[in-house]
Order: sequence, then C-alpha cells, then structure tokens
Amino acid sequence: MVVLREGMCPGLDADLVRDLRAAGIKTVEDVVSSDIEDLAQRCSVSYKALFAIRRVLLAQHAAFPVSGADLYEELLSSTAIISTGNPSLDKLLDSGLFTGEITELSGGPGSGKSQVCFGVAVHVSLHLKQSVIFIDTTGGLTASRLLQMMQTESSNPEEQTEALQRIHVFRLFNIFSLLDCLFALRSGRLQQACAGSVKAVIVDSVSAVISPLLGGKQNEGMSLMIQVAGALKTMAKDFNVAALVTNHVTRSDSGGVQPGLGVSWSHIPRTRVLLERRGEGGGGRALQSALCDPDQVLQTALSHQGRVRPAVVEPLERGVVGKEKTGRD
Amino acid sequence: MQISSCSLSPAVKSRLTAAGFHFLSELRGLSPSHICAETGVSQQEALQVLQAVRGGASGGGASVGGASGGGGASVGPPPSLTALQLLQEEQSQRSIFSFCSQLDATLGGGLPVGKTTEICGAPGTGKTQLCLQLVVDVQVPVCFGGLGGQVVVVDTEGSFLLQRVQDIAGAVVKHCSLLVEDDEQRVAMTTFSVETILSNIFLVRCHDYVELLAELHLLPDFLSEHPRVRLLVIDSVAFPFRLHFDELSQRTRLLNGLAQQLIAMATSHNVAVVITNQMTTRLRGGQSQLVPALGESWGHAPTIRLLLQWAGTQRLATIFKSPGHPGATVQYQITSDGFRDADQSEQPPSKRPRTHTVQSATGQRDSNQSSAGQRDSNQSAAGQRDSNQSAAGQRDSNQSAAGQRDSNQSAAGQRDSNQSAAGQRECS
Repeated sequence: MVVLREGMCPGLDADLVRDLRAAGIKTVEDVVSSDIEDLAQRCSVSYKALFAIRRVLLAQHAAFPVSGADLYEELLSSTAIISTGNPSLDKLLDSGLFTGEITELSGGPGSGKSQVCFGVAVHVSLHLKQSVIFIDTTGGLTASRLLQMMQTESSNPEEQTEALQRIHVFRLFNIFSLLDCLFALRSGRLQQACAGSVKAVIVDSVSAVISPLLGGKQNEGMSLMIQVAGALKTMAKDFNVAALVTNHVTRSDSGGVQPGLGVSWSHIPRTRVLLERRGEGGGGRALQSALCDPDQVLQTALSHQGRVRPAVVEPLERGVVGKEKTGRD
Repeated sequence: MQISSCSLSPAVKSRLTAAGFHFLSELRGLSPSHICAETGVSQQEALQVLQAVRGGASGGGASVGGASGGGGASVGPPPSLTALQLLQEEQSQRSIFSFCSQLDATLGGGLPVGKTTEICGAPGTGKTQLCLQLVVDVQVPVCFGGLGGQVVVVDTEGSFLLQRVQDIAGAVVKHCSLLVEDDEQRVAMTTFSVETILSNIFLVRCHDYVELLAELHLLPDFLSEHPRVRLLVIDSVAFPFRLHFDELSQRTRLLNGLAQQLIAMATSHNVAVVITNQMTTRLRGGQSQLVPALGESWGHAPTIRLLLQWAGTQRLATIFKSPGHPGATVQYQITSDGFRDADQSEQPPSKRPRTHTVQSATGQRDSNQSSAGQRDSNQSAAGQRDSNQSAAGQRDSNQSAAGQRDSNQSAAGQRDSNQSAAGQRECS
C-alpha cells in the first residue's frame, strides 16, 4: 500500500530503492508479497538484508491484535446511549442511538426524517449539553425550526442560544466535500474546533450526495459510496460518536418502498429505521427497525401531533446517556 | 486521506494507484516533475494532484468540481457555522411574498430565499401563474417589503407568456402606488414600473435536458456577475426529463445531480429556487393515484414541496413537505391580476336546505344572525327567510349545525381578512 522510500527502515537506502523499482517493486505490499530469494538474485543484494527489511516493514504496517476482554472493558467504559428525545423511538432503538454505530433513517419525501434529525440535534445540545455536528447536504436545515423546537423545551433564551451554538453545521453539496469534511473530522482537527465533546454526527442526507453518482454506466460512485461509509464508520468508532444518517427510499416493482442506495449500502448502517407517512396530510407514521428488532413496528408520537408540534423532542429518559451498555439482548 | 476520494479525474487516480500511491500524504513534498516521472501523468495533472494534496493538508479543503460540479476549487477548511449563526442568517433574509396572504402566512412570510421549492400540480392548476407572480413579486422595492431583486427564468415548456407578466406587473405596480406613504417610497415608485420589471427578468429557453444541464453549469458564474438575482425559476423541470430517456437509472442520476446543483446554488448565491413539476399517475393494486412526476427519489430533492390541485371548484395549495413549516392546505384563486387569496364570496353557498316560503321565526333569525358572522349574515338571513315553518323541528337542528358552521367560516373569514391586512402592512 505504501510507496517504498529511502529511510523508511534501516538498510533501505536510495540505491536499494532504485534497484527494487527497476525490478518492479514499488510498494511495501510488493516487497511483502514477493519471493525474497528471487528478488535478492535479481537486485543483487543479500538475502539477509532483504529479509530484515521485510520483517521491519511488516512490523511497521501490521495491525495489533486486541484481546476480547480488553475490548469489552473499553466498550463498557466508553459506549453511551444517546436518547433521541422521543420515547417511543428510543424504545424502538433499544433506548437510543449507540455511540460507535451508524443508525439510518429512511423514508419517502415528507415522512419526517429531517424532523427526527432536528429532534436529536436539539435533544443532545439542549438537554445533554453536548456538541452535535450536523452535515446538511439538502439545504433542509432550518435554524428557526430548531429554535422553535427548543422553545417548547426551555423558556430560557440564554440556554437556547448556548444550545444553538453547540450545533455545528456543515453545508456540503457534493460527495467530495463530504469526504473532505469526514476525513478532516477524523483527523481530529475539527473535534478540537468544536468546543465541548461531540457526541453525535448527523448527515442529512447521505443519499443526496451519493445518488447523483449511481445509476447509468458509472461505477465510480460505488467506490465513493463505500469510502463515505468507511469514513463514517471509522469516525464513529474512533471518536465514539453516534452517527445518524438519512437515506431516501425507492419503490420496488411490487409497489413497496425500500431504503435507497442498493444492497451494498444496506450492510453499512447498524440499525435502519424506515419512516412512513400514513394517510393523507401527514398522519401517523410507523417506524420499523430492520436490524435491531425486526418484529417491532410501532406508531410513534408523531402521529397525532404531526409536524405542528415538535413531538420528536419530548424530553424523556434523560438519564440514559452515560448508561453502561451491557451487551445486546 | 485516500487518493480515490479526491475529486480528480478517474484516469489520473488510476495512474497514481498503479504507481503505488494510495494516500494523499504520500504525495506531500513531491515536486510535479517527480510525480510525472513516477506515474506518467502530464505536468498539468500533476499540479492538480498537488493542489488536492495541499487542500487536504490544510484541514480538508472543499475542492469541489468534478462529477457533480458546482463552483471552483477553493482551498481552506470547510465552512462550518453554528446553528445560531444560521438562525441569524435566516432571520436577516426576507421571503418572497406571493400576494396570497394565506399561503404566505403558512410559509411564514412567503417563499424562503436560499431554499429550493417545488410546485407540483396537474395541468391548469396554476403552477406557471404562481411562478409569474413570484417573478414580479421578487422585484418589489425593499421599502415596500419586497426584495428589489432580479430574476432568472429557465423556460423549458415555452409557457413564459410575456403578456401575462405585463398584466401581473401592472397590477403589482398599481398596488404599490396605492401604498406610497413616505418620500423613500415615492422615490422608489419613480423607477418601479412595468418596463423596469420586464428588464430585470433574464429569460433562458431550454429545449431539451442537455441544454438545461448545460445552462445549470453556466448559471453559478452568471449569478456571480449579477449579485442582485434573488430568484431562479425553472418551469418546468419535468418536461425535458419525461422524454428521450431509454434508461431510467441514468435519468435518476442526472436529476439527483441537478438537484444538488440547485441546492448548492440556492445556498451559496442566496437565491430562492422555484421549480415546477408535472403530475403522473401511479397504479397501485388496481387503484390509480395522482403523484408528482420524476419518481420517488426526486421527491427528496426540493426542500419545500407545494402541491396545487383542484377540489371541486376551489383551488387548493398544500404544503406537502417542508422542514420548517407545518403541513397545511390553503385556498387561492387566479385572477387577471395574478395569484391571489380565494375570494370569500366565490365560495360555494352553504349547503343549508332551502325552501321557498317567506315565513320565518324572527327571534331565531336574530340569534342566528348574531352567531353567524358579518359575511354570512345576508346569506343566513336569506336562508332563514326561505326556510319552511312546517319543517320547524328538523330545521332547528339543521340551523344550529349550519349556524355553527357559518360562525366557523366567518371566523376563518375574519382571520383571513386580518391576514390580508397583515400582508398589506408588510407590503407597505
């Protein structure tokens, strides 16, 4: 994977790099996978020197094994469950969004995906006093709506102002700027920039930037999609944040709806929630988790209050964050 | 950061990968000629690669361009702002009012600037009329509560009728001239005329989807050159995309790309984007349903979706989706002056049973009159006069129900009139 450079390890000097290059060996991967004996003859260097170089390179680039017990300890100490602010949605999600995991909301236009995202952002910033990173790719983030949700929760304007300042918004409209942003977040620079610890990263919506690259005869989109997924996953794990993404839906031939972005993407989120709009005028919505609890389908609190009142942000189960996760039953 | 996630051309990427480069950090500190020698890309491509490296190094620069387009390469940290800044930004922006006070009230003052709004409707529901009204409204001077902006209209259907714009513009100019109160407004009125309205409209005709996509690639530059443009209308986006497509997935891909371009334009240039869409029939288990065209995934593209439809003789506008507004349905009408509030007197008469006898119970009439609002008082009185004594019992129950309905209606009517007054205040 990594290009061979002089000085990478003892014994690897400029002459040797040139010789190896002449023999078609350009990267660490090439050195590791090649036949050392043959290579020693072709480059006329000692077998011993090449063998030592290979051992050092392997040690430098290999991953470290972690014991299961250590991992479990770490899991118990670091995993938090972030309440979405909506009790019935929390119940559906096994008490909330788990840090280190990707949760996906999918649904048709006007099914309330963005509203759930707003609700989570408001809940985390207002009640849990944690920072939220909100990546808006559809231009749908309306700050006045966030304020409206906060006003029903708290009457203190200062508290609202502080909460609004804890929501960091990125407005990115194509996949390359999204990837740039995710990599920058992962490299930790932005974690420092956002004062306070970030507990949730919301991408609304991930499909809006990926779907322009899918379909037709283009296949580069697939690769970029998986890179977005990888970046999200490593970020969620490394920084222990809950990632919430939204996805659109497509209609299958039989007339049913299914989450968009195809089969490859379906392996990415840990939990998928399908939001549906039932009846005319935005009535009840059924939520369904595809991975968490397949049988569970429930009517949420959104039903009777619709979008007029922010039912999504009812503050319940406040003590959930920080609760130790004792494995999933 | 991996090389494959940069916005470089696929050919350059594959050459870099073949040469063993997988991460941008590996390219740091190399000279362009060095990269050329190692990978076989041209000098210019090597420079582009290094620019991408530098962008990624300085905090993940948003190097846009490439497949999804939308602006030049800008190096620097991605633009982050807090929700509070966003709120201040939103509050400083004015909305484009539609002259239909009910619609404006449900949208919180009108069509928001910086968002994309889709207007869907069957033929003849008034999509184009609403667009034409907005084209004129956005130019109302700032001192009258408007935006004083310019407009870009992308016409794909050939439905942009200049005579109609003239009618609407005339009505708006007349309306504003009646509202003049101070000197500032008087000065503004000297330049606000039908001619200036027409001169501030930039019309682009696109005949097929290729022309439309090409135009959208050129528009960001045009908007930079004309910073006063506050509204972009595409009437309609559906028409060029509903024919000449063998492969539907290709169409979906292009449409999704187009949507992202529009959103990027709306946000970066502070422009309200209004697009119209046609309706199509979806068959589902033997039942047919009228839904907006262009498929399920296009439905996610606009930030706000307005549905215009007929219900009997009434025209109804429904907010189908919007992140900041509750769903609502309002009435409107289209007059010779443009898109307006539904005229209350044109509502269908109340469905109270009517018979033709001139006897009446005066006491009852009075009580009903007092409960029924001003607007309906004539009607209800007439109804009472007409009503038949013989069916007194039945009528009583009917009347109480009717009376209630009337009072509701009149309350609604009064609210409307309040709203329209508010709308006028906004204008003035």
